Amino acid sequence: MLTVDRRTFVKASAMAAATAAAAGTARAFSLAILAEQPEGASLKWQKAPCRFCGTGCHVMVGTENGKVVAIQGDQKAEVNKGLLCVKGYHVGLAMYGKDRLTTPMLRKDGEMVAISWDEAIETIAKRIKANPKGFSFYGSGQWTIPEGYAANKFVKAGLGTNLIDANPRLCMASAVTGFMSTFGVDEPPGVYDDIDQCDVAIMWGNNMAEMHPVLFSRLVDRRARGEKVMIIDMTTRRTRTSDFADEVLFFKPHGDLAIANGIAHLMVKSGKYDKEFVANHCNFRKLGPKPDEKTPPDMLGVQMTFEEFAAAVDVYTPERVEELSGVPAAKIRMLGDLYCNRGIKINSFWCMGFNQHTRGTAINCIVHGIHLMSGHFGKPGDAATSLTGQPSACGTAREVGTLCHMLPGGLAVANPEHRKHAEEHWNLAEGRINPKIGYHAVELFKRFNTPTDQGGDVTTVWVQVTNPGQTLPNLGRNFLKKKDLSDKFLIVSDVYPTATTELADLILPSAMWVEKNGMYGNSERRTHQWFKMVSPPGEARDDAWQVIAVSHKMMELGDNGMKDKDGKWLFQTVDKAGKEVPIWNWENYYDVNVDERLFNEYRLFSRHKHHDLAPYGEYVKTRGMRWPVIEQTDGSWKETRWRFSGFDDPYVAKGKDFQFYHSVTKDDKALIWFRPHEFPPEMPDKDYPFWLCTGRVLEHWHTGTMTRRIPQLHRAMPKAYVEMNKDDASRLGIRNNEVVTVKSRRGAIDLPVWIGGRGDPKIGEVFVPFFDETKLINMVTLDEYDPYSKQPDYKKCAVTVVRKS
Amino acid sequence: MLSPKMNLRYSAETVWVVLAAAGAGTVAYASIGDGQVTTGQVMGMPLAAAAPQGPPAVVSTDITWRLNSPAPKVIPESQSNPGAVADKFASRVKSLEKRAAVRAYEGAPPVIPHSIADLNVETCRACHAQGLRAGDKTSKMVSHTYLRNCTQCHVEAESPMLGPDTGPGNSFVGFRPSGYGGTRAGAGAPPVMPHSSFMRTNCVSCHGEFGYDGWKPDHLSRSNCVQCHAPAAEFEQLSPTFGVPDVADGMAATPRR
Repeated sequence: MLTVDRRTFVKASAMAAATAAAAGTARAFSLAILAEQPEGASLKWQKAPCRFCGTGCHVMVGTENGKVVAIQGDQKAEVNKGLLCVKGYHVGLAMYGKDRLTTPMLRKDGEMVAISWDEAIETIAKRIKANPKGFSFYGSGQWTIPEGYAANKFVKAGLGTNLIDANPRLCMASAVTGFMSTFGVDEPPGVYDDIDQCDVAIMWGNNMAEMHPVLFSRLVDRRARGEKVMIIDMTTRRTRTSDFADEVLFFKPHGDLAIANGIAHLMVKSGKYDKEFVANHCNFRKLGPKPDEKTPPDMLGVQMTFEEFAAAVDVYTPERVEELSGVPAAKIRMLGDLYCNRGIKINSFWCMGFNQHTRGTAINCIVHGIHLMSGHFGKPGDAATSLTGQPSACGTAREVGTLCHMLPGGLAVANPEHRKHAEEHWNLAEGRINPKIGYHAVELFKRFNTPTDQGGDVTTVWVQVTNPGQTLPNLGRNFLKKKDLSDKFLIVSDVYPTATTELADLILPSAMWVEKNGMYGNSERRTHQWFKMVSPPGEARDDAWQVIAVSHKMMELGDNGMKDKDGKWLFQTVDKAGKEVPIWNWENYYDVNVDERLFNEYRLFSRHKHHDLAPYGEYVKTRGMRWPVIEQTDGSWKETRWRFSGFDDPYVAKGKDFQFYHSVTKDDKALIWFRPHEFPPEMPDKDYPFWLCTGRVLEHWHTGTMTRRIPQLHRAMPKAYVEMNKDDASRLGIRNNEVVTVKSRRGAIDLPVWIGGRGDPKIGEVFVPFFDETKLINMVTLDEYDPYSKQPDYKKCAVTVVRKS
Repeated sequence: MLSPKMNLRYSAETVWVVLAAAGAGTVAYASIGDGQVTTGQVMGMPLAAAAPQGPPAVVSTDITWRLNSPAPKVIPESQSNPGAVADKFASRVKSLEKRAAVRAYEGAPPVIPHSIADLNVETCRACHAQGLRAGDKTSKMVSHTYLRNCTQCHVEAESPMLGPDTGPGNSFVGFRPSGYGGTRAGAGAPPVMPHSSFMRTNCVSCHGEFGYDGWKPDHLSRSNCVQCHAPAAEFEQLSPTFGVPDVADGMAATPRR
C-alpha cells in the first residue's frame, strides 16, 4: 500500500550508512534528503460539481495516469467552500466498481449477447422508426443539461410527439407546480445565502442533516462562530436533524397541511401579518369548482378575497391543528409568534416530505403563502427554500423541459405562443411541435406494462441515467409486468447492472461524470460546467452521443423528422472553419465540444421566462452562476441572487421593491393560496395498522447503484432495514435485528428490524430506506399521486409488520 | 589540488569544518551527502589523516577555542543506534499504513473504526475534542474543530447492526503519500507540509501528544507551526499554480475518447 518500495528504502539506508562511514566527523541525518520530489506533484487537479445531490457542491478531482486518485472539496466554490459530505469525498470511486457495463448487449432468446455499437444504434433507430408514437423516452435529473436537451429535441422536434418524461416527476414535480401556482414560473426566488443570514430555520419534514449535509453544516457551523440560529425540526420521526434542533415537533402524516393553515390562522387573527406587502404584492386564491365528480379543479384557481381567506382558515385554531397534526397547540402558537415577528428572518426548508405527497402542490403553495403573507420573503435570510434531490433536476428536467408537457426554457407545450418560440429556435415547420402533451412517468410505465391490445400504447421505452425498476411506486403493477409482454422493448443506458437492466432488451454502456463533458444545475439556480478528465471504460460512450447517433441513423434510413424545415439535420455541428463535424461517429465526437454547441443553442430559449443563461465559455471560468445571468456593459456576466426583489433582480422595474413579473393574475402579484387539510388516501386500519415512510440515508445515493459499489459507503450501510418504535416492537414481540415481513395491499418485503438506530419512528410508524436493490420497498408503496404534478407519494401508505418465524 | 565533490547544499557545514581545522593544520573533513570522505588538501596544503584525540582539558564555547581545537568526535546516530534511524522511518511507514487502512485516499475523511451513538454528535467530542490515550489506542484530537456535523463526513467502518459486508469490488486506487515527508531547502530546514492544510489547522491532531508515531517533532513546545512550515503548492488550492486553468482551452486537456 505504501509507495516506498524496498529498493528505495535500502538505497536510502545505504546512503545513510555510507555517509556515516566517514571517519568520525560526518553528521548523519541523511534521511532528510530522501524527499526529492514534492508530494503529489504528479497529480492533476480540475473542478467538477459533485455527481450526487441537488446541493451542487464543487469538488477538485485529482487524476494521475488517466485515473481518478483523489478528491478535495473545492475551496473556491461558494456553495460548499471546500467542504464535502462522505458521498462527495468518495465520489471518485463511483466509476470503478468492478462490474461496470462495457459493451452493448442485446437480449436474444432470453440471453444477453454482446453486440457492436453499430448494431445497437441501428436496432434502436429501426424500432423507433417503425412506430414513433409507441416510443417514450424516460430520462433523469442526473442527465447533464446537454444530454437532456439532445433527448428533448430528439423527441419533440425529431419525432413530433411529446412522449418524454423524467424521474423528477417522482421527486420535484410538486415543487414545480407549487412555484408555478404561486409565482407563475418555476424555481426558487432565494439562494443558499439565505442559510447564512436566517435567524430561524424550519425543516418541514426533511432530514437535512443526512440529505443535504453540506447545506446543513452551513447552518449549524454558524453556531461554532458564536451566531445564534434557532432550528425547528418538524418531522414524523426522530432523525439526525432532530439532534441539532432547538424544537422538535412531531406531526402526523398530512399534518403539515394543518400546521401551515394554523400559522395562517394565527396571522389573520392577530392581524400581525405584513399588510403592506400583501396589499401591494399579493392576491388570494382558491381552487374553483370541479368540472365533474372525477376531475379535480384546474390549477389556475379563482380569485379569493381576504375575507374569504380569513373565513377559510378560521377553523384551523391551534387546538384543531393539534387534533389534526399531533403538534401541541402551544407549539403552533410559538410558530405563529415567529412568523408574526417581522424583526427576525425565517428560512423554511423542505424536500421530499412536501413533494412526495398526494397534496404536494397544495402544501408547497400554502407554505409559500405564509412566507408571503408574513413578509418573510425576498430579503437575505427570509425565504421558502425548496431543496432539490438530484444534481440537475433543476438544470436539466425543469429548465430544459424534459417532461411530457414542457419545452426548453420553462415554456409549455399547451401554450401556442411557446410552441411557436420552439419552432423558431429549432427552425421547424409551423405546427411541428405537437400540442398534445405526452404521458407522465407513472402513466408512461403503466401503459408500458399493459398489453398493447388493451390500451398499452407505449411499446418501446428508452431509459437513460435512472433506475425506474427500483424507484417507481408499486413496482408489481408499474414495472414488473413488462416481463410477460414479449412485444415490449426496453432500452437502458446505464453504467452498472441495475434493477432496470434486469428487464432490458438492449443495454448500452454509458460514460459517467468526469468520463464526459457535462453541465448540471443545482437547487439555487446555479448552472455549472465540467470537462472530461478520464476515458470511460471499455466501449462505454456518452449518453448524448447515443441519442445523436440514433437521430442520424434514422435520418439515413429516410426519416425526415430528424431534419429542420430547411433540410438540415437537427444536430448538425460545424467546426470553427464552418466545416461539418461528423459527431454521429464516436471517433469524431470530441473533435469539437458538443456540449458547447448544444448549450449555446439551448440558451436561446432561456430568455423568454427570464431564465437567462450565459454562453458556455462563461461557465468554464466559474464555479457556476445563478440565473438570470445578465451581460454587463463591460462584457462581464453577472448572476442574480434574489429573484423578484428590486434590490437584486435586474428584471424588476426600477423603483419597485418587488415585482412578480410572471404573475398568474398578470398584475405583478404573487398568489397566496388557500388549501384545506385533507387526509391521505390510504391510512392505517385494522388489517394494515402501521404508517410506512420511505426515504434515503446519508451513505447512499438513491438506488445505491453507485454508492453500494464504494466500499467505505457500502460497509457503513450495507443493507436495508425497517425502523420501528421500541414500544411497538415490544408489543409485537419483535427483537432487534429480527427479520419481519412488511406488507401492504400491493406487495411484501422481508427486512431486518433496527430499533434505536439512525432514526426513531413514533408509535404506529415504520421507516424503510429504498437504496437496497435486494429489498425493493417499492413493491409495497402506493402509486397514488398529486392531481396536478402527478408525483407519487412515497411517504405514507398502510402496512402490517409480521415476524417471519 | 583538491576538488572535492562538494554537495553545495551542505557547503555551510563544510565551511565550518574547514574553518575549525584551518588553524590547527591538521584537518579531517567530510563533505556530507556525497557518500565520500576526501582526505587530501585544503587550499594547497597537504592534510594529514585525521587522528581522533581525546576531549580537551578545558571546555569553552569561546570561538577561539574552537579554532584551536580539533572538531569534536561525533558518532553518528546510525552507528550508535542504527535501529533508531530505521525505526524513525519505519514508524512513519507504519503510521501511514494505519492511516491508509481507514482512508480511501490520502485526504479522504477516515472511516470510524468503532461503533458510535448515532443520534448525538456531541458524543464524538467526548474523546476527540482533546484527544486521549486508552491503553495502546489513541483517539486523535479533531483537526477541524469548527465543523459540527461530524457524521456527515465520517461513517462507520462497519455497521454493527447490519453486519460486516465487503460488497462488490472496486478497483479504485487512491493517492498515497510516499512516506518520505516534506521537502527541505537544506539540512535542518523546516520541511514543507507534504499535505493540504485545509481542515488541518490543528497540527497537534496528528503531530502532537496523541498523534502518530514517527511524526512527533522534538519541538512540541512551539505552538506557531505555520511560522516555519509552509503549505505545499501541490495541494493548496489557493496557490496560483494549483489545478488546470479554468479557461475554455481546458478542452485541450480533454481525453479524446
